[in-house]
Amino acid sequence: MSFWIELAATGLITGGIYAVVALGLNLQYGLMRVMNISHGEFLMLGAYLTWLAYTVLGVNPLLSLPFVAVALFAVGVGVYWLCFRRILGSAPSVEVIEARSLLVGFGLMFLVQNLAYLAWGADLRGYAFLDHAVDLGGVRLMANRLVVFGFAVAASLALLALLRYTLIGKAVRAMMQSSTGAQLVGIDTATLNPVVFGLGLALAGVAGALLSMVYEISPGMGEPYTVTALIVITLGGLGSAIGSLLGGILLGLVEAFGMHFTSPSLKMLLSYGVLIAVLLARPQGLFKR
Amino acid sequence: MSAMTLAASLRITLLATLALAAMPWLLSDFALSLTLSCLMYTGLAVSWAMFCGATNYLSLATSAFFGLGAYVTAWAFGDLPYLAIVLLGGACAALFAALVGAAVLHLRGAYFAVITFGLGELVRHAITYYEKSVHHTVGRVVSDPPAAETVYLAVLAIAALAVCTALLVRHSRFGLALRGIGADEGRAETLGVNARLAKASAFALSAFFAGALGAAMAVRWTYIDPPAVFNPFIGFQTVLIAMVGGAQTIIGPIVSAIVFSLLTEFLRLRFPYMFLIILGAMLIVLVLYLPGGFASLIERARQRRRKANA
Repeated sequence: MSFWIELAATGLITGGIYAVVALGLNLQYGLMRVMNISHGEFLMLGAYLTWLAYTVLGVNPLLSLPFVAVALFAVGVGVYWLCFRRILGSAPSVEVIEARSLLVGFGLMFLVQNLAYLAWGADLRGYAFLDHAVDLGGVRLMANRLVVFGFAVAASLALLALLRYTLIGKAVRAMMQSSTGAQLVGIDTATLNPVVFGLGLALAGVAGALLSMVYEISPGMGEPYTVTALIVITLGGLGSAIGSLLGGILLGLVEAFGMHFTSPSLKMLLSYGVLIAVLLARPQGLFKR
Repeated sequence: MSAMTLAASLRITLLATLALAAMPWLLSDFALSLTLSCLMYTGLAVSWAMFCGATNYLSLATSAFFGLGAYVTAWAFGDLPYLAIVLLGGACAALFAALVGAAVLHLRGAYFAVITFGLGELVRHAITYYEKSVHHTVGRVVSDPPAAETVYLAVLAIAALAVCTALLVRHSRFGLALRGIGADEGRAETLGVNARLAKASAFALSAFFAGALGAAMAVRWTYIDPPAVFNPFIGFQTVLIAMVGGAQTIIGPIVSAIVFSLLTEFLRLRFPYMFLIILGAMLIVLVLYLPGGFASLIERARQRRRKANA
């Protein structure tokens, strides 16, 4: 019995990370139709910032979490002003915005990833943090994984609460429904777009920081997470925040159990099987009304 | 190219092909391998633009088709003649594209791009798993590859065929239907275009060339393994070349394929990271400031001249 609980816990922990990564991407897409394919690269930056803070300055990774979030937020606002503002302002239709932002995302991916290679080399890096097992009613789990799961869920729920209960969240939701309508009732879309883009990258950075506590990091680590995040937001529905949270956790569980019953090298195939099945059966996403 | 008739364009393509066919006996080995890489990217970019430029669907599946073709070579080399393998590689990629296309081509925009982006990874993992569990190997060695001239002529033939096909498609009802889908899919269907069939066949047609090029080029690597043949850089470079040249045209991707292949050959080995950083920055700047590609500059100049004459 405890074996199955451990397996489920592994799935939940991975799923929590997936949810945080996907939430950021989905927020950007839902609001601006910007499909930022370089999302995982900013996750990698977050991971490296945390690793640097720990190995060079000796800062506790949990302490550097808010700083990483703020730094990535600033990067996000900068990237928005340099790249995506012009696309959103000049493109004639939503489809053109999607196509061009995807290409810019590819450019950013190559740019950021290779800058990281140049700066830190291709070696795997890592540090030990809370790597002892804890016993929870007969179930043994690594302490760092539990911490990571806790923070991932907390970050996701904080974002959901922000969207649901605050005025800025209300404005963002209004913009997701209709950008023009939101402008008509006096919402300043020109200010909110960069803020939300920054928020998306801040979430990616937090996810990267959390991942660095558990896994080894490398400049190429972000790409698989981008693909997974794309799968998750397709599962949960484009533009649906709660869908991303549930979709992420679902995918984590499917992967954990699927890999147990088949083989670890089939992880990607499993995710894709789920994605294609969902796209054929419910293209609008599992959790979208 | 839009000012030229179909017959004239085909004649120029034929002449260029004949001239290029003499190159193996005129050029040094190094220059020949440069030309080969130019031809490969010409074929890839022109066939990509054939579907994606006309229909405005953004496919990132080129590396999946290319890799699939290459693996056909890995499996069949030695058992079948080289030419048959090349055709088989193209056919496999086209069949795969038709199947995938039938399933996902009703998705537009980001959904389609995302699915095709992952397709390369999917095929790569599937092949890795198959090779590991059935044949207990990861890579395969191509022993006794065909002569460099044979490979060159095969790639030249595929690239020329891709250009001719693109020209023929462009001047046919089929091409008109594809452009109609690109402009407004709903309207095209109202006017009697079977959009689903047109998209799936164009997708398969463009995949044929990518697969055939993968199969033809694979023998140059002597050692074939998934990370090499499913290199996302090949797909990325193809999209970049076609977009920079102007995906709505045929001459645009050809010219930019030559420029980019030369740039890549000279810079990539010397400054691998810096090269990709510059490439990424260039893509961003081009998408932001010249979204129609360089061909749109020529088109604009031509229009200005016409206005001045009138």
